[in-house]
Amino acid sequence: MALALVDGLTFSYPDAPPALEDVSLQVEPGEVVLLLGASGSGKSTLLRALAGLVPWFHGGRFAGRVEVAGLDTRSARPADLAGSVATVFQDPEDQVVLAGVAAEVAFGLENLGVAPAAILPRAHAALAAVGIEALAERPTTELSGGELQRVCLASALALDPELLLLDEPTSQLDPAAAQAFLERALGGRAAVVLSEQRPATALRYADRVVFLERGRILLDASRDDALEWLAAERPAWTEPSNTLSLAETCRSETMLVSSIHGDVQGNRVVPHEPSNTLSLDRKGPRETVCRVERVRFAYDGRPVLDGASLELRRGEVVALTGPNGSGKTTLAKLAAGLLEPQAGHVERAGRAAFLLQDPGRYLVRERALDEVALGHGRERARHVLAEVGLDGVETRHPRDLSSGERERLALATVLVTDPDLLVLDEPTRGVDPERKAELAALLRAQAHRRATLVVTHDRLFAAAVADREVSLGETREPVLA
Amino acid sequence: MRPSAAAALLAGVAAAALLAHHVLSAGVLAAALLAVCLRAGRRARPYLYGTLVSSGFVFLLSPLLQSTGWHVLWSGPTIPVLGPLDVTTEELQLAALNALRLAAVGLAFAAYALLLDHDRLLAAATARRSVLAAVLATRLVPTLERDARGLVEALRGRGLAPAGLRGHAALLSPLLAGSLERGLSLAEAMEARGFGRPGRTRVPAPPWGALDAAALAGAVVAVVVGAMWL
Repeated sequence: MALALVDGLTFSYPDAPPALEDVSLQVEPGEVVLLLGASGSGKSTLLRALAGLVPWFHGGRFAGRVEVAGLDTRSARPADLAGSVATVFQDPEDQVVLAGVAAEVAFGLENLGVAPAAILPRAHAALAAVGIEALAERPTTELSGGELQRVCLASALALDPELLLLDEPTSQLDPAAAQAFLERALGGRAAVVLSEQRPATALRYADRVVFLERGRILLDASRDDALEWLAAERPAWTEPSNTLSLAETCRSETMLVSSIHGDVQGNRVVPHEPSNTLSLDRKGPRETVCRVERVRFAYDGRPVLDGASLELRRGEVVALTGPNGSGKTTLAKLAAGLLEPQAGHVERAGRAAFLLQDPGRYLVRERALDEVALGHGRERARHVLAEVGLDGVETRHPRDLSSGERERLALATVLVTDPDLLVLDEPTRGVDPERKAELAALLRAQAHRRATLVVTHDRLFAAAVADREVSLGETREPVLA
Repeated sequence: MRPSAAAALLAGVAAAALLAHHVLSAGVLAAALLAVCLRAGRRARPYLYGTLVSSGFVFLLSPLLQSTGWHVLWSGPTIPVLGPLDVTTEELQLAALNALRLAAVGLAFAAYALLLDHDRLLAAATARRSVLAAVLATRLVPTLERDARGLVEALRGRGLAPAGLRGHAALLSPLLAGSLERGLSLAEAMEARGFGRPGRTRVPAPPWGALDAAALAGAVVAVVVGAMWL
């Protein structure tokens, strides 16, 4: 008997077109199902339907049937399903309830009525299972995004669910941490339904792949069959080599010197392969837009960068990579002038613009056009909205846009400034592969106008967009097994 | 000390300040609470700033809105509805007392928000839902501060820096909208984790100690002393 059954599910959020249409699906015990699809294709809605949150929490029009562990979600509330189903949502900061790590993991166990004497041992066991037992007594407010994501996974695993729902849980993790996360999440007895925008790692673990498009299932197949289908129909989701070849093309067009220099204690600056290869740009040396020299920066006495240097020239796109906590965002903010170095110095020529990770920070006006036009002309704002593929949303409220549209709106708000230095911090977080390719193409097309620095965990995107890669070596976060 | 006992002691001291009739008494209590808050270091800044601003407003405005006392220090024009604008020694004393009372309450809340273990407070609570709501509301201050910093940083990244009171006031609406969105997400996550199910249990709390009893007794004494002698 199937652990979860979705039968003819059609669902619309209030005052919105259908997010899911006639979706049918079964999940067997212990099975790992990978959900793929573009932003807005209905993946998160399907996960919420399996958790009972759709329709109970969100309202809307619901037709069809969803049964999980023998409970029909039309009559069983999400809290009733909680013993059988556990969910890890996309943004860890929006799901942490309590102030301490151990108490946070214990929260769900208390709600389920687990015997008091067993609560803390189970919480600590779950923390150990995801490799963060050392964080048990730490305040959740002091944790990095990656650490919080593991706390959320521990909170879910502590419930010992039959069905684990993971909604893009690795979006804030570097590739190594993402792989470790998935190994831990998928290594238990629970069936897992996982939504991912970086599918390469998840595809290795999946038993089945479901591909959604505009709320409908286009594909529901075993992994091997799905790989064949994806290769033929949606190559952006499967073939990193295609993306890499684009990178090779980029590099051959603009051959550059890996120009980062660092003498950093515990925070080495490592040139990208091929190490220190000297190549000549056919157009000759270009104007330096930003030079960061031997900067040092610490947060509350905790050193993040010490002696890092970086040079960015007009016409080049540089990818800044490295593990969580290695200081990528700090170096990028120093380059853009959002932070001042505590030692060393930064020189900039012209305007700098910085795109933060969270597109929610760019929603300060009532209409999308006004948001982009803030401080600039409306005509130019319309032009930039069209450049990022958002023509037609001018009069909509920015908070009514989908997450993918919000990302593009945020990008438009910085592109409209026509900066000499454009810094993007994790611009592909939560962005599907096809949209990533579009973003890479846009950045490449505009590369000649400015120097572009892209902070990213996404190696494939870095390879696709960058002329060179600068990698910050070691993490300053505690290394957790 | 158990957080519930510490919370009772803080509430007792704040109540004593509210009941005090002398500027010096309220000032001593506020200073004691300030010393406690400063243990939190830089995290205390937004709370101290908020307390200073609100108490400052009370001190500056209330003499102008009251008409009491006979030792006039300054006489201003007569304003319709408000009456004569003047400041007397008695009004200043009353304004200082009220400002210090407000400061004491604000600082007691700051100490509660910054230094107590809210998870243990929640675990010990009988009205768990109400206490959880209070705990989540307590987290609103640092969350709003972080969100505000993020909004300003995003604007700076676009070459726009909010200037002046009007520029910063324009951030209030997106801050509120953002906190509502965050609240909805949190409520959804809590429901998915079984919050609201009947038959919930709790992590066993440690037994009461002598220090906890002393704190509770201190809270009662503070209220009585505040009502009768301060």
